[in-house]
Amino acid sequence: MTAVPPAVGATPQTSEPHLSWRARAAIFLRLLAVQSAWNYELMLGTGIGFCTEPALRTLPGGPAGTAYHEALARESRYFNAHPYLAAVAVGALARAELEGQPPAQIERFRAAMCGPLGSLGDRLVWAGWLPFSALLALLAFGLGAGGVTVVVTFLVVYNAGHIGLRIWGLRVGWRSGLRVAAALGAPALRRGPQLITRAVMVLAGAALPLAIRRVLAGVPLSPPASDTVVRALGGIAPAAAILGAVALGAILVRLHGRMEGWRAALAILAALIIYSVLR
Amino acid sequence: MMDLPLLPLVALGAFLGIDVVSFPQAMISRPIVAATLGGAVVGDVVSGLFAGAVLEMMAMETLPVGASRYPEWGTASVVGGALAAVPGADRSGALVLAVFAAIATGWAGGWSMYLLRRVNGVWARRALPALESGAPRTVIGLQARGLAADIVRAALVTLFALLVWLPVTTWLLPHWSLGATASRAVLVAVAGAVAGSAAWRLASGVGGAPWYFLAGIAAALATVVLP
Amino acid sequence: MAIELYRIDDRLIHGQVVVGWGQPLRVGFIVVVDDEVAASEWEQELYRMGVPPEMELYFASVNDAAERLDTWRRDQRPGILLTGDIDTMRRLVERAPSIQTVNLGGIHHRAGRAERLRYIYLTSEEERELRALASRGIDVTAQDVPSARPLPLRELLDGSAR
Repeated sequence: MTAVPPAVGATPQTSEPHLSWRARAAIFLRLLAVQSAWNYELMLGTGIGFCTEPALRTLPGGPAGTAYHEALARESRYFNAHPYLAAVAVGALARAELEGQPPAQIERFRAAMCGPLGSLGDRLVWAGWLPFSALLALLAFGLGAGGVTVVVTFLVVYNAGHIGLRIWGLRVGWRSGLRVAAALGAPALRRGPQLITRAVMVLAGAALPLAIRRVLAGVPLSPPASDTVVRALGGIAPAAAILGAVALGAILVRLHGRMEGWRAALAILAALIIYSVLR
Repeated sequence: MMDLPLLPLVALGAFLGIDVVSFPQAMISRPIVAATLGGAVVGDVVSGLFAGAVLEMMAMETLPVGASRYPEWGTASVVGGALAAVPGADRSGALVLAVFAAIATGWAGGWSMYLLRRVNGVWARRALPALESGAPRTVIGLQARGLAADIVRAALVTLFALLVWLPVTTWLLPHWSLGATASRAVLVAVAGAVAGSAAWRLASGVGGAPWYFLAGIAAALATVVLP
Repeated sequence: MAIELYRIDDRLIHGQVVVGWGQPLRVGFIVVVDDEVAASEWEQELYRMGVPPEMELYFASVNDAAERLDTWRRDQRPGILLTGDIDTMRRLVERAPSIQTVNLGGIHHRAGRAERLRYIYLTSEEERELRALASRGIDVTAQDVPSARPLPLRELLDGSAR
């Protein structure tokens, strides 16, 4: 085993350092812009420095002190993670700095946090909560909702998760410091993406055919003609469109992600435009 | 046709363009929101909403994981929603052309984000000595400069896309010969395929995923078949 | 099935690996080959939270990985093997010459490294190590996500990739 694992490091975790509500609010607001200087060299490294900075001002000597400048330099180096879960890193690193943990431990911990926070965030948000919220909005659209309802549905549902995750991340990071791994290993967090994915599949099955049907019906929405499956979908064209979608979708799945769908869409629509305009 | 409220659209594009990565990532840049707002600025929320729904299906597969390059849907959807809402056009042709223009804009917007990241990198490299000395002004300055540059980037992408695509679609629409139903059928088939395959890939490794999908289809059928 | 991807990525477990590659390849397990991580419980704990419960995660030192490679290859599920740097992959290949392909997925900026791609930065020593890998007949390509074009090492190092 590693001689001095940072999570149970040589410098024991002390009681929670004091951080004013003003500093906490500043950190949270800055987290909303954690990626604004994103680049391929430091990724969101300066963003972490930017977000931890209000907490670092309370280090001995204040903003003019050596401790402040050394900590800010350390926190502004290369870092990458999911932007929402960067809140966990910001909370944990700010606490580690205020506790005076050894710089070598902080740097090793910082490096080890990148990948897992990125992976968890990508699964939980980009591959989970975002498609869930988008499909919910598409379902509302497919059921005939107006623009305001669809937009509000999406924004409220998505941002309940988004803002909640940032607040939770900052709190759990601050409370746990370098011991944050244990808090993040909670079963709910590990199984959460899987549960959301199941909901995404149910929503995809419901929302996509209804959205296709509504786009085809045009404005205003035509009511279904009868109770047979094909007619219920709105006629032959929607049934053909859904079959076409299934066929093309199967091809895209078989390509194992090696062809991006939007590129295929661009090519097919270009062909459609040329055909329709020139014929 | 050419009487679009250009300034409000560019302002909207700038605001939604920075939401994609820089601030606040509340996903107001998602097509279902951005295109609807683009349509609303032009005066036709519903047409914007329709373009947004189709583009949202296309955007389902875009996972902004790691440092990968992907279409920038914020400005693209504002442009798509606005073009779909332009008054006086054949609706089916307008929707296809608007979606096509939006995807192409998303592609260009993705490139502009890549260039911005490179510019941010140049600024960060130049600032490395100051960063290593822990200068707060440098850290805050890099964040502020990146945000400002992203606003300019998004505004320019929106402006150029509208200046290019508005005359192109205006010229193409009178020549559109396909019927409304056929045009839309191809459009939604492609969008549905992209969204469906994206959902399928997301469910990889999740037990019983096809059954959950089928349960959703059954629910959808029930809503239209049952009185 | 076999190990579908032998990847060098300094972030080890992260979104591009788990979501970007893991989902389209329907990956059932990931092997992290790293001497330090294999000896560090707290780091393993961190990395475990980055993978979904249905995906198995193994940690191994280079020597351990060379011994267990055939077992992982006989696994019915597709898998990914990761190292955090070129040197670790080179040492693994020396002990397990049957590895025929190596994917460069992410080697990021550090003092002394020069940019080759937006996700590949190399020192001259690392370039030499990659050339040595290729000279063993290994197909070395750079590709961050499945939808990107795999870029041959020759193109990466002669500068035409940028």
